[in-house]
Amino acid sequence: MPIYDQRYRRYEARNPLRELRFWPITREALKLVVARRAFLLLLVAAWIQFVARTIQVYVVTRFPDAGRVLPVDGRLFGEFLSGQLGFALLVSVFGGAGLIANDLRTGAILVYLSRPLTRVDYILGKLAALMSLNLFVTLAPALMLWIVAVSLAPEQFASLKLMWLPLAIVLHSLVISLAMGLMALAVSSLSKSARVAGLAFAGLFIGLEIARGVLRGMFRTPETGLISLQGNLHALGNALFGIQHRFFNQPWPLAALALVVMAALCLWVLRARVRAVEVVQ
Amino acid sequence: MSALVQFRDLNVSYGALKALTGVSGEVLPGATGLLGPNGAGKTTLLKTLLGFLVPDSGQMRAFDLDPGTAPLDVRRRIGYMPENDCHVAGMTAAAFVAYAGELSGLPRDEAVSRAHEVLYYVGLGESRYRPVDTYSTGMKQRAKLAQALVHDPDLLLLDEPTNGLDPQGREEMLELIRDVAQKRGISLVLCSHLLRDVERVCERVIVFDRGRVAAAGTIAELTGPRRAVFEVRVKGDLAAFTAALAAEGGECSAADDGLRVLLPEGAGAERILRAARAAAVQVRRLKAAGETLEDVFLRALGAGA
Repeated sequence: MPIYDQRYRRYEARNPLRELRFWPITREALKLVVARRAFLLLLVAAWIQFVARTIQVYVVTRFPDAGRVLPVDGRLFGEFLSGQLGFALLVSVFGGAGLIANDLRTGAILVYLSRPLTRVDYILGKLAALMSLNLFVTLAPALMLWIVAVSLAPEQFASLKLMWLPLAIVLHSLVISLAMGLMALAVSSLSKSARVAGLAFAGLFIGLEIARGVLRGMFRTPETGLISLQGNLHALGNALFGIQHRFFNQPWPLAALALVVMAALCLWVLRARVRAVEVVQ
Repeated sequence: MSALVQFRDLNVSYGALKALTGVSGEVLPGATGLLGPNGAGKTTLLKTLLGFLVPDSGQMRAFDLDPGTAPLDVRRRIGYMPENDCHVAGMTAAAFVAYAGELSGLPRDEAVSRAHEVLYYVGLGESRYRPVDTYSTGMKQRAKLAQALVHDPDLLLLDEPTNGLDPQGREEMLELIRDVAQKRGISLVLCSHLLRDVERVCERVIVFDRGRVAAAGTIAELTGPRRAVFEVRVKGDLAAFTAALAAEGGECSAADDGLRVLLPEGAGAERILRAARAAAVQVRRLKAAGETLEDVFLRALGAGA
């Protein structure tokens, strides 16, 4: 049968546009990323620290003397989230680098932007997908760990004194996920190759940290840490969980401000790069 | 017949580069061709219609809406098939087209069901579960058409839909587009630099040249008996005949079988015979013909030069 003889059905219904227009973008991005077996393994591996910390909490609740070597208190969660930062980096590199770069390479950006979607919907959809993945390796295990700790040592963790812990966990996880997500997407929008974008993001993250180390060696002031994303995230976490750290000790308000500036820079890059028309001046 | 799209004195630029200069026109229901050489401003007009570009001045209305202020309402009624490749990496055609439907506002179930129907319609039914990345150029073009059709738009914008296709693929694509316009009742704008494509599909045409509208109207109007056209074959000194014909106010160009002679409006075949006598050539064939879209196109471009 010739193709033009086949049926084409007109669609009369015109539903109002959905409120969360970005949701299909988030869902499909997650489906495509999670479909890779290696990435699933990475997500599973990100829970290894959770298992180790659970054992630590269990051992300390059974043998209180062990608490002198492996203290179990509010700082445990700050250190846990700091440890998860490495996985957040890997998730952002392997899960986030291609989110916009692939759309630029295959021309899919026009498929999105010629629909009833704004650029904000598009960026929000991609960011929500990457943040969900990052929250899966930060917020989810940290909250689970807190639940385990409350169950094993209710007298310690369910006390009013530590009631701020879940809030601090949520806040720090959100800051990590948002900062990593925005930076990964901004770098992704600068390339048409997911591989190049992934390497560039990892290089930027590690490079800024190396620069922080060099500047600290030269000037010996904690404020040098403000140029590093990792440094600022650590500093904020240390402030939230009451940790005194030898290296990441820049003042937390400045670290928060530096993160806001980095986020604004990423949004500026995204605004310039995510467009349907390349303007040639 | 009320216009789907109207534009008046539209000026659009990319930075310092003026892409459209004071263009006016309208797109009526049915098939309209945007014709012109590369860089003439056809795609710019489509991108302004989609709200990607903001006009420097002038007015554009689509479905009585301003694409600049209500781009989402305009875009949900438009299906856009871009000139270049477009697909989501790693997705099968079925998933890609359903996704495109959902992005256009269709409920998930309806988007999936329509994706399968549309893929069958464009001839990709059997290969709809293959990733689009693995498709040939022709199949990718069909997938692009399917994603533009899935939400049943009121207006389909096709930007160079036959790009990169072999002759058979081109025929099939044009046949499909003609079917969309004529049997399925979807209005469309076909943007092309290929006269034959536009002639095959469209009833109306807007000819662009260097950011301006050089000619506009139905193909019948534009190619109607405005100038007398003859197909002529002569034996003898062709250069002398051409010169004699020019003295009579005629133009000629090479055709498949001899010459194609265009005479001023109202002129008759006697001018050709006079020119033949003056050039001492023998007329072997003389046949009245109509002006083709190519003649109109070349005339329009020539007038703007």
